[in-house]
Amino acid sequence: MKRFITKKRILNIASVLFLLVVWKILALYFHSAFIIPHPEDTFVTVLQLFTDKDFLVVAGSTVLRGMVGFVISFFLGLAVGIIAGISPGFNAFITPLLVTVRSVPVISLILLALIWFDPGTVPVFIAFLTMFPFICTNVSDGIKSVDPGLVEMAVFYKVNKRRIITGVYLPAIVPFIISGASSAMGIGWRAIIIGEVLSQPVYGIGTKMQVAQTFLNVDAVIAWTLIAILISFVFEKTIRWGERKIETWRVAS
Amino acid sequence: MEGGIMSLLIRNLNKSFKDVVVLRDFEVTFPEGTITCMLGPSGCGKTTLLNIIGNLIPPDSGELIGFENKMLSYVFQDPRLLPWKTVRGNIEFVLSRDIPSDEREKHTEQLIKQVELEGFASFYPAQLSGGMRQRVSIARAFACPSDIILMDEPLKGLDAGLKKNLILWFLKLWKTDRRTVIFVTHDVDEALLLSDRVIVLSQPPTRILTHMNIEQPAEERDPGSDHLLKIKRELLQAVTVR
Repeated sequence: MKRFITKKRILNIASVLFLLVVWKILALYFHSAFIIPHPEDTFVTVLQLFTDKDFLVVAGSTVLRGMVGFVISFFLGLAVGIIAGISPGFNAFITPLLVTVRSVPVISLILLALIWFDPGTVPVFIAFLTMFPFICTNVSDGIKSVDPGLVEMAVFYKVNKRRIITGVYLPAIVPFIISGASSAMGIGWRAIIIGEVLSQPVYGIGTKMQVAQTFLNVDAVIAWTLIAILISFVFEKTIRWGERKIETWRVAS
Repeated sequence: MEGGIMSLLIRNLNKSFKDVVVLRDFEVTFPEGTITCMLGPSGCGKTTLLNIIGNLIPPDSGELIGFENKMLSYVFQDPRLLPWKTVRGNIEFVLSRDIPSDEREKHTEQLIKQVELEGFASFYPAQLSGGMRQRVSIARAFACPSDIILMDEPLKGLDAGLKKNLILWFLKLWKTDRRTVIFVTHDVDEALLLSDRVIVLSQPPTRILTHMNIEQPAEERDPGSDHLLKIKRELLQAVTVR
């Protein structure tokens, strides 16, 4: 097992190195910082961004928007997903709505949101609309997959409803919630940054990317992109860490 | 009443699934504080009967007398343990929150000790063998302050040695807490080793083909003894009658 993990890690590192090599080759080929800057120059730019006095406000604003969108989507998605999982009627009602929201191009949502909301709220609204259907659908699928035998056992032993929800349903749907949160976050960050690019709030990674692009500052565009990837990575790892903490039984098994 | 012992009665019980009549005017008596085995081939309606007694499915008609206000425990064929709860957590799960937590804990630990799982109290079901899981399920049934324990082929799929051990663990618990046990199986050996009374059921519509009392204490029974072999022959003969 340990050997497999080591091998997996080596392959992960090899994959990142491969990407860097391709990047370097392309930078050498185009030989223009306005098209593809060298990776080392971009990393210097990333370090400069980190030391910039506005960095924390800019990255923090984007993270805050993401968190607000996620928290709203999470709790609403959990509540609506549980009801949809329990009630087939409500599920039939909500499914077309969720499919519609998921099918609408993000850009259409942003254009409408630009008309309806102020620039700071647009990315939050977009984050909500992209994340909510994922969490809701996953939770509802999770509820439907709960082993009826376990519920029957709990009902038979006259365990009260609240404890059946907290002791049977919720633990059973944790993997679905985690998977929904992970997918939602993955899609959500992209949507938030697109929202920021178009709505131009005062502070935001998207705003900075748009400004850098206007001045053909390609290394800054890539540097902010790398920071966005880093933020997304940190959240993904946090979700997985939370999963391991919650699902101790799965880790032990 | 049967020899001074209170009995639970089932009268004129009817149950059909679509066009298949499973139970027609079925009647049976279960003396309280004894282990009654309903023996019959697969599909004979024994689980249907158990599920009606357990209130998991409604009968079409009929009376269940003496079951009112009785608390029930169920040892399912598949142990139905919560995978995210430990042995301790699974047993405690069925205990009412009205019982103070220290009392719940004490009761749970005592049962874990009785089924000899002390070293596994913090283990999750996936870390246990099939036999250990069923022991937890039995301990859970005894943890619940029930009057009646229903058991649906709880030994199915276990090897002979494990079956014998489980029966001994069950009897150990039952001797200290004699509840009414209604147990269904298709296995004559299980019936012989565990029951005070064996009722042989026919194919649907289910009727009672015969019933036998086994007077010898369960823990003293030797499946190879002439006495048990004679009963076994008679039961097998009855089971094969259609």
